[in-house]
Amino acid sequence: MAALELRRAGLTGRLQPLDLTIRLGETTVLLGRSGAGKSSLIGLCNGSLLPDEGRVLWQGHDLNRCRPTQRRQIGTLWQDLRLVEELTVLQNINTGALGRHSLLWGLRNLLQPLEPELGDVLLHQVGLSNGLRDQRVSSLSGGERQRVALARLLRQQPMLTLADEPLSALDPRLADDVLNMLLDQSSCVISLHRPDLMHRFQRVLGLRQGELVLDAAPSAITEATLAWLYSEG
Amino acid sequence: MALQRRLKPAPALVALAPALVVLPLGIVLLRDLHGGGAEQIGRFLLAALQPSLDPTLLKHQLAELQITALTALLAWSLSSLAGLLLGVLSSTTICSTLTGQHWPAVVLRRCLAPLRSIHELIWGLLLLQLFGLNGWVAVLAIVLPYSALLARVLADQLDQQKPPALIALRCAGVSAVINLFTSLMPPVAAALRDHIGHRLDCALRSALLLGIFGLGGLGTELMLSLQSLRFRELWSGLWLMALLLVLMNLVIRRLSARHGLLLLTLALPLVTLLWSQRLNHDLSLPRWIHGSPWPAWAQLRDGLTQAWVETPWLELVGGTLLITLLASGVAIGLPPLLRLIAPGDGAGRMLKAGWLLMRLLPPPLTALLLMLASKPTLAVAALALGLHHSGVMGLVLEDGLERVDGRDQQAMVALGAPRRSAWLFGVLMPASRRYLAYAAYRSDVILRDTAVVGLVGGAGLGWQLMEALSSFHWPQVGWLILVYAVLTLLGELASEQLQETA
Repeated sequence: MAALELRRAGLTGRLQPLDLTIRLGETTVLLGRSGAGKSSLIGLCNGSLLPDEGRVLWQGHDLNRCRPTQRRQIGTLWQDLRLVEELTVLQNINTGALGRHSLLWGLRNLLQPLEPELGDVLLHQVGLSNGLRDQRVSSLSGGERQRVALARLLRQQPMLTLADEPLSALDPRLADDVLNMLLDQSSCVISLHRPDLMHRFQRVLGLRQGELVLDAAPSAITEATLAWLYSEG
Repeated sequence: MALQRRLKPAPALVALAPALVVLPLGIVLLRDLHGGGAEQIGRFLLAALQPSLDPTLLKHQLAELQITALTALLAWSLSSLAGLLLGVLSSTTICSTLTGQHWPAVVLRRCLAPLRSIHELIWGLLLLQLFGLNGWVAVLAIVLPYSALLARVLADQLDQQKPPALIALRCAGVSAVINLFTSLMPPVAAALRDHIGHRLDCALRSALLLGIFGLGGLGTELMLSLQSLRFRELWSGLWLMALLLVLMNLVIRRLSARHGLLLLTLALPLVTLLWSQRLNHDLSLPRWIHGSPWPAWAQLRDGLTQAWVETPWLELVGGTLLITLLASGVAIGLPPLLRLIAPGDGAGRMLKAGWLLMRLLPPPLTALLLMLASKPTLAVAALALGLHHSGVMGLVLEDGLERVDGRDQQAMVALGAPRRSAWLFGVLMPASRRYLAYAAYRSDVILRDTAVVGLVGGAGLGWQLMEALSSFHWPQVGWLILVYAVLTLLGELASEQLQETA
């Protein structure tokens, strides 16, 4: 079933117009050199960037005209995490649920973190200690912050998960944990700098100099293709 | 070729250079000095150590201090609430997030600019003419510019940088209002809390200043003591004021840490109204004291034209700018210069105490004290203003110096640099950028404050404004306020540019 469709959607100077359909229940990896346009493509998919031309559709509707109830079905693990630095771990995790609750709930969450039991479950799931839940995220290490962002994403319960280089700052063991959790989501598009992990996905997209040049199953991709994808010029 | 190269002085040098104005100022002051006043200044300084402890006087001063505190607290609370509301409404980020348009916020921001550009003293004197002596006059005189100033600070904070979480939550389908509360307000809250706390300190000093110009409270008492040369009485009042400032700062710091600041601002109007009844301080609704304040249009037009023609604008604006320049030089250059002369920790502590006293003494009182030993000139006005603001800048500098970790100074000492050079390169240099950024803002405040010393020093727009107010020359009052507002806004723009380049 088509969930997200890009129709001749492009960003001047960053991403050439492309057609792409992301289906529900599909795990996709996005490969390419730094500056190839991976983050721009993720930005188009979650609506943080508006296409200069073409359209982005979510379940048949223009993504940028979707109501919040529809927008919350797409979750993103941002490269720079985008946590609210001044709030605690639990309050940050709860921001994942703001789209499902009223303003009053949001204000109460600012006064005192709500639903701590649920927060504890998520902290456990992402491998963080409950003792961290009342700490401000600004005091956490990089790996801990990454997992808080992941817990926030899990709290959001999106239909489609987008992740922009989620493993870049993590040690191999933690990277493996995070990737497993992302792949547990039914549908995901994850940009990675690790071609060796492509066999864990159902579909591989390759970007080169702002152009979508590869769309295939992992088994169909050869070493030579990868070498060309990551080559200069 | 070397001569063609542009000079680009290091920040530490830029911080020290303004102190050069001390030379011409000193020459002028020495020329006008008369020995008779030196004895009085000596008495004044000695009286600081021997303030009057007469119980009747202290009781009276305490009652007046309560009126100053009440005025400041009420004004602070109302201006904080109004400023918060206006700040949210004039934020383009909030406006465009909620409505998709940002022009309403821009229009509101422009409308608020004249309110904050006029000094509270001018507002006070103006409102005094319109409503007579009433407790609300001093309160409103502070509320009007302070609320507009807080609104600007809040709007700037909100618009300065969109926090990354704002976009993240928007993409996650969070509604605009919840998103603003969750991702935009928390980063702003800490800075805002500090600013609101700082404004109470400012409100107390403004209330004291308004008292000096006859709007009641301790300021009026201090002025009377100074005019009758009762320095020991003057110091009793000043020390009481210092105690109040310290106490208020402690309370604010504690409340800020416990998120009680908002509750305090909400509760204060009621508390102060009850308090005013106990003190028999008139806080009844102010009434217009002129029957028909608006003249016919033709009469007004003629009056305005005549006032514009007869006012020596060049001289007045020039005087105001010169006072600003000289006072800024003293305020910005003196603290690093004195620290360079005495870079040790002990000297630093002594200077800090000195800066605290300078800040405590309102500029008109300093000007009057200086006039005991010198003629009333533009230089006296500038020095009085500069010394007061050097108190503020001195404390900012000391705060900045404390943040420097000292490793650079150690390196300089290890290189064999003399003590003062090691301090200049290892301590002042890393602290200079922040100091200069604040100095740019402070010179903007000094421009606004020239109104205060202009009244005493007989120079600039402030002096002319006092004359116009005393003779009920309303067309000229109108023009003067307008010119002051334009000058202050231009100064604000210039200081913003300076802060960006600092």
